[in-house]
Amino acid sequence: MRNKNGGKDFCMFALPGMFCFFAVVIIPFIYGVYLTLTDWNGVAKVKNFVGFENFGGVMKDSQFWTSLLLTFKYVIFVVIIVNVLAFAIAYLLTRGMKGQNFFRAGFFTPNLIGGIVLGYIWQFVFSRVFVSIGESTGWKLFEVSWLSDPTNAFVALVVVSVWQLSGYMILIYVAGFMGLSEDVMEAASIDGASGWVKLKSIIMPLMMSSVTICLFLTLSRAFMVYDVNLSLTAGAPYGTTEMAAMHVYEKAFTSRQFGVGQAEALILFIIVAVISGVQVYMTKKQEVEA
Amino acid sequence: MRKRVKTKIISASLIAAMTMTMLTGCRFGFASDPDDPNEEEKTIPIDTSVDTFEYDGTLKGTNITLLNSKAEIQVALEAMGAAYEEKSGVHVEVMPVTDGDSPYTKVVSLYNSGNPPTISILDTTDVIALAEEKAADLTGEPWIAEAEGYVTEINGKVYSFPLCIEGRGIIYNQKAIEDTLGESFDPDSITTQDEFTELLDRLVDAGMEKPISVAKEDWSLGAHQLQYIYETYEGTSEGAQEVIEDIKDGKVDLKSYSRMSEFLDMFDILKKYNVAKGDPLGADYDEMAIDLADGKTAFWLNGNWAWPNLSEAGAESEDAYGFLPYFLNNDKEDFANSQIQASPSKQVMLDGQYASEQEQKAAKEFLNWIVFSEIGQQMMVKTCNIIPPFQNNPYEPLDPLSRNIYERVHADGAFNASAIVPNDHWAVLGASMQKYLAGRSDRKELMSDIQKYWDEQE
Repeated sequence: MRNKNGGKDFCMFALPGMFCFFAVVIIPFIYGVYLTLTDWNGVAKVKNFVGFENFGGVMKDSQFWTSLLLTFKYVIFVVIIVNVLAFAIAYLLTRGMKGQNFFRAGFFTPNLIGGIVLGYIWQFVFSRVFVSIGESTGWKLFEVSWLSDPTNAFVALVVVSVWQLSGYMILIYVAGFMGLSEDVMEAASIDGASGWVKLKSIIMPLMMSSVTICLFLTLSRAFMVYDVNLSLTAGAPYGTTEMAAMHVYEKAFTSRQFGVGQAEALILFIIVAVISGVQVYMTKKQEVEA
Repeated sequence: MRKRVKTKIISASLIAAMTMTMLTGCRFGFASDPDDPNEEEKTIPIDTSVDTFEYDGTLKGTNITLLNSKAEIQVALEAMGAAYEEKSGVHVEVMPVTDGDSPYTKVVSLYNSGNPPTISILDTTDVIALAEEKAADLTGEPWIAEAEGYVTEINGKVYSFPLCIEGRGIIYNQKAIEDTLGESFDPDSITTQDEFTELLDRLVDAGMEKPISVAKEDWSLGAHQLQYIYETYEGTSEGAQEVIEDIKDGKVDLKSYSRMSEFLDMFDILKKYNVAKGDPLGADYDEMAIDLADGKTAFWLNGNWAWPNLSEAGAESEDAYGFLPYFLNNDKEDFANSQIQASPSKQVMLDGQYASEQEQKAAKEFLNWIVFSEIGQQMMVKTCNIIPPFQNNPYEPLDPLSRNIYERVHADGAFNASAIVPNDHWAVLGASMQKYLAGRSDRKELMSDIQKYWDEQE
């Protein structure tokens, strides 16, 4: 039914939000796409149209593809570990154990600390605390700083990201578990469903809406990781832990190749959008209602 | 209900306590951040009784903004602005470039938002990138006569004011050396690579296991170390430019370029005696300052900007610190073995696009005030603690590193060369140098990285 006062409600309620959305998201995005087609260096008054030359530059930038591959590896590890861990902890924390509120708060705390600060704290832990533990105990694992070896530095990044992201996901899974209907669970028990069968056939399908949200959040946040990457390793040792988002920034601002950097950002955006779109579509299909 | 409230209070206070410990933990770990703007500085009194500078009365009430990319002098610049305002009536607003932002990115974004600072402190490469498009022409300003050899010209015009001289080399702690060897140490007695190695061996024999600190940071390896191969070509900025062009054009082959192999010889020595030899990429910058000040090490490759770190680590300005050259070979006649690199490093650029004529005039007066007024001269050295590149400034720097550079500049102990390289040179080749430092690549790979980098430049 059409409202009588025509556009007035729209203007009052939707327009301010839409204006902001357009001003800070849509227009810069379109402008960004336009910039990929020019040779603008960020300073010059004139912007020359160069067609797809910048995308050619992206193809030639082997470091970008290396960092993209690394990002994929990172995303796979982070998404799986975070979700499995968060799901398991949330499950434990909704079974009425003693002090569960305290634990929920405790697990959520890392998420309250900004990525930059978190990265610095962990940098200190990896390169000083662990090393002095290694010195006093003689453990080979902690003998040298994790951040000075490419593989270990990557592991360090995954560990810190998991530590940071899990709390938030635990919160969402906890909410999901709390929303499970007692009736259904009881009915399942009466029908003789064991713990594992209950988890597989009752809990999982009912939890799919939480899974959709958590997978989407972890996927997009892991793909776009920048702050932890910057403060924990800054790409060190010798550029081996530089993720895609960081490479884009470096390309645009350190190497001052705005067009190529912007084109890389666009490619990254498309990849993330497609992957998370497919993920949301697939997990949405699995959702059921009790 | 009461129980829930209690749990909530407990968990809330726990969160607060945990966050607090984390934050304090962070402070503990990075306590010696040299750029901490909250740090209390000892202020040295400035004599304002004599002031013969002629102020332009028509400028009273003008406001100018100054973008500062040298975080350690933020407080000092504000004091300088206030002193100038008191005398001239021109208000100088000092804006810092926040940590993590590059000065160039900051100034470009300010230009794009149509609100650039009247004057900005930038690196030389930034000025070269921006000058012809944005800067006001400063050719013919009176201070140019006092800064002979330190002015950057772009197509015959001057667009920037050299703010300070910075130098780098191998910092030594004289007391640490003398205490270890049990005899007096004369830094001038070391004039070749072999003599330097011999000194290192003697230190090792006397109980100092690893006498050198080598920073793993890419800016240190990629800019401060590697750039010796350009800057020692003949010890001038023009020479550095020439050899860079030759490397780009393939006229100079790095494999047979003597400065390249000499540089790596010296770098290998640093690597061999590195205090963090077991894990060179795990070395901690703050710890290096502490090691040098405590006498655990005797040398640290760095520049006079490291003084705040050293001073925080316990070094006093009366202590004997100074620079040794980056020894490249065993030829006593080679300037690289007797001189350290020192050149103007920060440039002040005046906006010529948005600033009104009045503002430009005020900014020009401010720059001249720094150079010619008694107050400005004192404040440059005493308040900002920088080495001014102006011959008419009679004040000597106060910390031992700057004093050493000052003396060397006046006694032919320094060469003025700075290589103008693309902005990502330090980051890209810094990574290659890290790989070499960690022993994960050899000379051949490093040289091919350098060649590849230059081949990719237009």
